[in-house]
Amino acid sequence: MTQGLSRRQLGITDAMIDAYGETIFRLSNNHQIRRGDPVRDKDFAAIDAHRHELGMSDAEIAARIGLLSAQVTFIRNLEERRRFRTGHYHMLNRLGGGRRFRADRMTPFQDHFRYSEAALGLRAALAFDPERVRCYVERGLWRSDTLRGWIERHARERPDAPAIIDGGRVITYAALGRRVATLAAGLYHAGVRPGEVVAVQLLNTVEHLEGFLALSWLGAVMSTLYMTFREADLAAQLTHSRACALIVPEAIGEFRPAEWALAHRGELPHLRTVIVVGAPPAGAIAHDALAAEARPLPDDLPVPSAADPFLLLYTSGTTSAPKGVPLNSHQMLTNARLGIVEHDIRAGDVVLSAAPFGHLYALYSVQMALCAGAAVLLLPRFTPPDLVKTIAAGRASHVFAGPAHLAACQAANSFAGADLASLRLIVLSGSVVPPDLVRAVGPHLRNGTISQLWGMTELQAGLYTRPGDPLERAATSAGRASPGTEVRIADENGRAVPTGGDGELQVRGPSVFAGYYDNPAATAAAFAADGWFRSGDIGSMDSSGNVTLSGRIKDVINRGGVKYNPQEVELLIERHPAVVQCAIVPVADARMGERACCFAVLKPGAALDLEGLCAFLTTQGVAKYKLPEQLKIRAELPLTATRKVIKSRLAPSA
Amino acid sequence: MSGTTEIDPAAAKAEIIAYAKKRGALVVGVADLAAIERIAPPGHRPSDIMPRVKSVIALGVGGQTQGAWSVPAKAMAYFGSTETRAYSCAYGLSFFIENRFQTPSIYCPPDMDNEAGPRVPMQSLKLHAELAGIGARSLAGDILLHPEFGYMYFASVFTELELPADAPLAENPCPAPSCVDMYRKVGQTPCMKFCPVQCLSGRIDDAGRQAEMHYDMAACAEMTQQYEAVPAVIAAALAAEDAAARTDALFDPDNKMLWYKMSVGSGGLLAQCFECMRVCPIATRAPQADPIRRSKLGS
Repeated sequence: MTQGLSRRQLGITDAMIDAYGETIFRLSNNHQIRRGDPVRDKDFAAIDAHRHELGMSDAEIAARIGLLSAQVTFIRNLEERRRFRTGHYHMLNRLGGGRRFRADRMTPFQDHFRYSEAALGLRAALAFDPERVRCYVERGLWRSDTLRGWIERHARERPDAPAIIDGGRVITYAALGRRVATLAAGLYHAGVRPGEVVAVQLLNTVEHLEGFLALSWLGAVMSTLYMTFREADLAAQLTHSRACALIVPEAIGEFRPAEWALAHRGELPHLRTVIVVGAPPAGAIAHDALAAEARPLPDDLPVPSAADPFLLLYTSGTTSAPKGVPLNSHQMLTNARLGIVEHDIRAGDVVLSAAPFGHLYALYSVQMALCAGAAVLLLPRFTPPDLVKTIAAGRASHVFAGPAHLAACQAANSFAGADLASLRLIVLSGSVVPPDLVRAVGPHLRNGTISQLWGMTELQAGLYTRPGDPLERAATSAGRASPGTEVRIADENGRAVPTGGDGELQVRGPSVFAGYYDNPAATAAAFAADGWFRSGDIGSMDSSGNVTLSGRIKDVINRGGVKYNPQEVELLIERHPAVVQCAIVPVADARMGERACCFAVLKPGAALDLEGLCAFLTTQGVAKYKLPEQLKIRAELPLTATRKVIKSRLAPSA
Repeated sequence: MSGTTEIDPAAAKAEIIAYAKKRGALVVGVADLAAIERIAPPGHRPSDIMPRVKSVIALGVGGQTQGAWSVPAKAMAYFGSTETRAYSCAYGLSFFIENRFQTPSIYCPPDMDNEAGPRVPMQSLKLHAELAGIGARSLAGDILLHPEFGYMYFASVFTELELPADAPLAENPCPAPSCVDMYRKVGQTPCMKFCPVQCLSGRIDDAGRQAEMHYDMAACAEMTQQYEAVPAVIAAALAAEDAAARTDALFDPDNKMLWYKMSVGSGGLLAQCFECMRVCPIATRAPQADPIRRSKLGS
């Protein structure tokens, strides 16, 4: 309505609006041009000459273009309404005090919040039980820790303390803060945005560690790729994770991951950027260029919070296809923060991970070092001599390793005569810890001890023995619950098993994941009806809360109705002088339901047949029904990055 | 009321100025009515609302502490506006003239023309003030600036009392020398460079004077005139796909602020933007904007 008249009464048509709308809008005072200073000069001739440029009244416009004044008023208001956009004042909110708007530095709020569909999907996967969230916050478990916050604090409080030791090179916390901020800016200007996933396939190098920290600094999400991954595994994980960028070395042996990714971009719709440590092929970006980025992060980029997605890791997949586990800083860094006291990690300590950074276990050690203000001592690639040499040279106080690492050192007799005086603790995790290994290595640690840790990608560190525990406990037990974590042993119906009884280890706590990314079926199967995470591990708990694990539920063999876990048999077989490694899997059998098939890798030149194997096991006291009924000799077994056997890839019929 | 024949116009003007300053005006002037009538378009001339008007008195009110210019922009939005103080001063002045000189006077409506809708003022207070010599048009969208008082809000009083008119300012303080220097280097003055919606542009001539001022008022209004957001919110709600989206459109936090502002009648509001003035050396360093300093100067 204009002056009581409707559009129809005013005789305004769509054609009229189309024809005159723009003209009326511009002739009105919506766009003003003043030439000189004619009003102050009372230069009426100039005022008249340029009146239309300073904005004409509706009546003047009407007279100029031949419409009625009321028609002009209606059309002008319509045009103003059509063009008007709300919400601009958000820009003022972003200016803060004393800052100035600069078009080149300002991103509209809506654009800042314009998370990609993939980023929003990942965020949605962090759907925790609100009641548990309230509990964790009220108990002070979730305290809004972020890696960025920790680094900034240490850079402020202990700027010259070593943060990363890479051979003879030391990066202090002050330098680390600068380097990570620069790399974060480089990633941002390369197109990575908060909430987006960046896949990383690197050894335990400075680039990997700083990449992790830079992504966290930026609010992006790291998804690690195991170094053993090639085309099929890479494609599967890059696709599922919706990774927008990939950081890889120039080459992994003969494989050139960047070239592969660039050649298969069409099959990787989310992948926009390939970053190469080393010489990049055409179409990829050099990591060095990002690490030298001159432009800072936008001033108004939100600082990531602890609730933001932080990591998207894939389970080891020993029994099924990999599943994506989204994790936030609340979960991981609470677990790490509370862990430093339990593992006795202090500022000034030196923490080494023999496990690859592609695995959460290794990242756990990094997080704890950064929380405590300790240094991360890098071991890019594990070999027994390198490990021992690095421990001695870097004066490592803590080593996080897998049983296979120590077993290899023990087999190579690397510890004999080695300088391990700086070591206060070796933590073992990642696969079944042979008790004899702990008993054998323990005495080499003059000033330290060994602890066993049980964790999963879904929860980081769930159980561990403490440094003050007897060595024998670390040899035979995965330890007690980490701070804030609750564990229980449950039967098939979810009922608690009496102390000492076997059952499934179930976990609840502030580090436990909310669900698998884009996999509701797996999520539903992963949790008991009352919300406890079903680990799939079988174990028992003593009266002190120490848990002894005896295998995986899915590994259980049901032979004619008699169920047993083959893990104890596997440990015995690996004591056989001819055997390097073995795994027992069930074989479908028409009469018995399932029978046991043993896959074994033998030492060079050794020989073993089923009869000899069973004779050996019988002398070890193994019951007859647990004896393998098939033996397959293999040159190697399919292994995860943490050297666990991937049983799902063992085909008994082959 | 009696006529004005017995009143000495110059003395009356002096009394009027003294009264207005006592009520908080920083500066007061009388505009050349004939010039206003000549320049303002039909329907927006003083005689259109007061046929027997003889004089247009313009006054300016304002002044910010130095600290005020450095607060966060959203806080500046609240206490940057001093127009209500100008209006109350003009309101009182109109009564003063009637009581003292028995001459009809009105406080000039500072509002939009309800026949033309928003963005079209009933009267141009800017034109009154400029012709009254209490401000000159700046490159910042023609915001008036004064060399001594900087950035002010203006109000006008129309009266049938005939008063001697003042001349416009002899010199335009805008652009300041530092702004000219910046313009020479980067092609923009501070107000142009730091406008959040980039609604300003222009040109300075070789003598350092304004050659052209370009102002995108529509863009400026999106930042500063939230009244149009209200119907926009309702329109968005009406067009929403479902009940949940409709509710969101009405009750999201931004829009709830609008309802709040409307409910409490808060005018200094949601999005008044002072960024062009925040960076203006004339506005922020006006020597007499500070009342303490002003008193010492004996102004």
